[in-house]
Amino acid sequence: MAWDLIFWVVCFFINIALLASSFFQLLSLSDLEADHLNPFEASTRINSIVLPEFLLQGFLCISFLLTWHWFMFLFTLPIAAYHLMLYLNRKHLLDVTEIFRDLNTEKKYRFIKLAVYLLLFTVVLFRLLSASIFFFFAWKFEELDIRTSLFY
Amino acid sequence: MGTENPGRPNFPMRPSATPFASAPPTVRPFSSSGPVVGSESSNVRPAPPGAPPTMTPFSSGGPRPPARFSDPPVPSPPLTSVPPSGGSYQRFVTPPFPLAAQAPPARAPLVGQPPFQPPGSQVSVPPPSFRPQTQVPPVPMGSPPQNVNFPPSSANVPQPPSDSSFSGPRPNFQMASPLPDHSATRSSFQPPFPGYPGKQPAVSQAPSPFPAQQGSFMPPPAPPSPFASQQGSYAPPPPVAANLGYQSRDQMQHPGSAPPTGSIQSLTEDFSSLSISSMPGSIEPGLDYRTLPRPLDGDLEPNSFLEMYPMNCDPRYLRLTTSAIPNSQSLVSRWHLPLGAVVCPLAEAPEGVKVPVINFASTGIIRCRRCRTYVNPYVTFTDAGRKWRCNICSLLNDVPGEYFANLDATGRRIDLDQRPELLKGSVEFVAPTEYMVRPPMPPLYFFLIDVSISAVRSGMIEVVAQTIRSCLDELPGFPRTQIGFITFDSTIHFYNMKSSLTQPQMMVVSDLDDVFVPLPDDLLVNLSESRNVVETFLDSLPSMFQDNVNVESAFGPALKAAFMVMSQLGGKLLIFQNTLPSLGYGRLKLRGDDIRVYGTDKEHTLRLPEDPFYKQMAADLTKYQIGVNIYAFSDKYTDIASLGTLAKYTGGQVYYYPSFQSNFHGEKLRRELARDLTRETAWEAVMRIRCGKGIRFTSYHGNFMLRSTDLLALPAVDCDKAYAMQLSLEETLLSTPTVYFQVALLYTASCGERRIRVHTAAAPVVTDLGEMYRQADTGAIVSLFCRLAIEKTLTSKLEDARNSLQQRIVKALREYRNLYVVQHRLGTRMIYPESLKFLCLYGLALSKSVPLKGGYADAQLDERCAAGFTMMALPVKKLLKLLYPSLIRIDEYLLKPSAQADDFKNIMKRLPLLAESLDSRGLYLYDDGLRFVIWFGRMLSPDIARNLLGPEFAAELSRVALTENDNEMSRRLMKMLKRLRESDPSYYQLPYLVRQGEQPREGFLLLVNLLEDQMGGTVGYVDWIMQIHRQVQQNA
Repeated sequence: MAWDLIFWVVCFFINIALLASSFFQLLSLSDLEADHLNPFEASTRINSIVLPEFLLQGFLCISFLLTWHWFMFLFTLPIAAYHLMLYLNRKHLLDVTEIFRDLNTEKKYRFIKLAVYLLLFTVVLFRLLSASIFFFFAWKFEELDIRTSLFY
Repeated sequence: MGTENPGRPNFPMRPSATPFASAPPTVRPFSSSGPVVGSESSNVRPAPPGAPPTMTPFSSGGPRPPARFSDPPVPSPPLTSVPPSGGSYQRFVTPPFPLAAQAPPARAPLVGQPPFQPPGSQVSVPPPSFRPQTQVPPVPMGSPPQNVNFPPSSANVPQPPSDSSFSGPRPNFQMASPLPDHSATRSSFQPPFPGYPGKQPAVSQAPSPFPAQQGSFMPPPAPPSPFASQQGSYAPPPPVAANLGYQSRDQMQHPGSAPPTGSIQSLTEDFSSLSISSMPGSIEPGLDYRTLPRPLDGDLEPNSFLEMYPMNCDPRYLRLTTSAIPNSQSLVSRWHLPLGAVVCPLAEAPEGVKVPVINFASTGIIRCRRCRTYVNPYVTFTDAGRKWRCNICSLLNDVPGEYFANLDATGRRIDLDQRPELLKGSVEFVAPTEYMVRPPMPPLYFFLIDVSISAVRSGMIEVVAQTIRSCLDELPGFPRTQIGFITFDSTIHFYNMKSSLTQPQMMVVSDLDDVFVPLPDDLLVNLSESRNVVETFLDSLPSMFQDNVNVESAFGPALKAAFMVMSQLGGKLLIFQNTLPSLGYGRLKLRGDDIRVYGTDKEHTLRLPEDPFYKQMAADLTKYQIGVNIYAFSDKYTDIASLGTLAKYTGGQVYYYPSFQSNFHGEKLRRELARDLTRETAWEAVMRIRCGKGIRFTSYHGNFMLRSTDLLALPAVDCDKAYAMQLSLEETLLSTPTVYFQVALLYTASCGERRIRVHTAAAPVVTDLGEMYRQADTGAIVSLFCRLAIEKTLTSKLEDARNSLQQRIVKALREYRNLYVVQHRLGTRMIYPESLKFLCLYGLALSKSVPLKGGYADAQLDERCAAGFTMMALPVKKLLKLLYPSLIRIDEYLLKPSAQADDFKNIMKRLPLLAESLDSRGLYLYDDGLRFVIWFGRMLSPDIARNLLGPEFAAELSRVALTENDNEMSRRLMKMLKRLRESDPSYYQLPYLVRQGEQPREGFLLLVNLLEDQMGGTVGYVDWIMQIHRQVQQNA
């Protein structure tokens, strides 16, 4: 039981990190668009956190698989696959020379990612809460385990 | 020869004008009806002089058999004497003056017919193309200023005279013999047709109902340059006022109707057309290739724009794809051509014209508070001169005290004459310190020279060293100019050029993984101080490496080293590269010879840099104000796609000399390098283009890097670079009648002064698509198309790039056709706006240009990429020259006994790029702006060949170099080449000699460039037109 709670806590923090990274990238891109940031800085900023984000996200995805959380795994799989594809095509980094031409697509891509992470966040939060509730009050609410009805 | 058809009130009229002097008489009737299809081409054929032209549509009495509205198939014998180019390219005019009633097109006119029927004449009288005057082209005039440039030629003034008044003059006219009677005719016609201005002076001014015929009867006295008369088309005048106005001018013109061919353009025509139909008696459908429009006069800048707004900057600096800006989104979406501008901020002005330099000194540069627009001729002063209104954002700004001047009664500043910035569209402001982030940099040239074995063998090093040495005096910016050198093979060689040394010290760094600069300074030295050391170095450079046998090339590390040396100051980095980079970062592998990749989705990756190192490096170079020019020499694959990236994003250019051999290509390299070193260069520049509220520039195309959404970073920019941009509407509806554009280039001049060059232009906003088409500028459109297509080759297949180009042309023409299809029975005719008559041809030329043509075998990958980089930077005029090169027959000129310099222009008669233009008895010069090809006909008199080539005239021409021999003919040829080169000094054209039938050289040097011909899998001009026409008609 404790492991379950720990797992969800870890997921929760990873998810927050992913959200933060996405948000930061979006912010940098908007700054770039508004001319508060020059393309050199913006691309270094963003490119420096692209790979960590990919790794974190991949880790999250795989850990869902290994812990047999099928629903969560399938939920994170598309993004992980997309990341992998970008990485294999060597398109994961921003191209500083053409950054303005790709700006809109890059923003859109990050918006979608942000939305997915947010959704994931709510689910993870929910699972975290239910896990903690289950953990602390298991002896009380055994018959009310919501997880079973919703996610298994 | 204009076709001012006298409007007989009850006549359906659509005067058609044939703009070519030599044009055959073709007045197109209502040829829309189906059955006619086959018969139309007779119009296109030139009629023999004197033979009655075929103008027959309504011929009630004529011998013409067929349907009323159709052209009878009159096979008029093709005239060989007619210059092939003088096609019958017609313009159809719709009378701009609406009458109340819409006369039924066909029948009504016949009523008046009999009296005019010339007895026995083949010519049926009523000009067939007359349409009811009610068929008004919907041309609401968007903006008043358009009236300004109406040429004194209007047509279709409803004529008061009754029919009977026509009958008198007409027979007279028909019998009129060509020229002598002209004036008589004219005078006899004049009174009754006061409102009929001549369209093109000589011939057309006779307001005869048979203008087209006139054309065939009398060749205009002016030199028959068939296309001279074609300029942009003009808007039809707003109703009657214009008529009256022009009447008098027109009459005044008549006396002096010595016709410069093609000075004035008719405003009557709405569109031009080509009839696409089969020739009588031939099965093959088609059109006469001789009649197709060709830009044999080169690029004509749209001057209507300039006339409308005389304070605009010259079109050499800024050209809009259409000088009429659409007012709504829906209009933009119907304009399928690119909407944008091509800017060449530092274009070379002709002798004697200078951009005024203004120093505001203590006042500071006057700019709008909000939108930062620079003060320009279109700002207005109000409030007794204390305020000025920004023309772009219409904010009221205060006039600084030092700049204040009273206004006179008309609201003009009294000191206007002393204020060039308020008079001229192009000015330069001296920028104060606020415009500097650091002290202005000195001009700086850094050379990165490959000294591996292939470079030594080709003789490149020697030529480069000599050229640099000879240019040392002319490098701009004396005495601040800085210079430095690095050479490299598998190691990197630095040179200490400290002025106290007598000889340069060489330092070798062989650690390629961690490049360091062995000396903090003195690698980059002031030229005037270290002049001797630099000269010694350049003198010894060729001999230093003459025994080098190193085949490797540590290009990437050397580039990094150069970057480290230069990053303090920025400047211009010239890279001479002879082999594929093989060591250290940025090493590249052979990848261009993989035929299997072509035609697949991976094809485009070949045209992209292979290693991200190059893009990253380019970005870093730009950041530190370093502009790169690449000189590539290898005969083998050097991956120009990767190397060129460095030039592309730093605002530089790529010079490519495949299989460089100094004894043959040396001169070209020498001249082009010298030009590169000595031309006026703007350092550490940024450029921005501002435009009025409601529109916005959204994409930029060319060789540069964007520093922010609308700021182009140009580390080193010069007169040979142009940039294109596209705009879009931000608001759904533009409310202002005029929009303004302002290009501002902030740069450091070689003299060390920080300056801002500002070009301002205004353009009217229109509500009508037809007007947009009329004001279109083919040159700018083609330039944008070219850049878009080349960019497209970087993300998809060549074929896709060509297709999308073709699709856009088709869409544009279809939209245009839809504008007129309802009012005019277009039938099978292909119509296009007069202003875009060359669009199809340039589209064809573009899809046959080196970066876009064919597939794997048609051009080497390196050549393709190099041409792509070059074309991305070329200004409009040079691009058009490259797309449709000139072909000139020169043997006659060379043989002429006393050809003077002044008839130079006359002999420069360009021929269509057809194999048919080549006569085997002639000597031809092909000039695409990058090289000359001199073609010796098989039956060319041996004398000429001997005179030009000397004793080797019979040898194989690939080995013969053209040198000046001691005879008049040779001297004259060399003089001619020299003059041609001087007309465009940005590249040096190397003459290639080729003899007819000498394969395969003839094939790839010349024949493949005759782009109007059908050639191994590519379409010819005629087929191309047919193809486009067919597609236009589909779901039209």
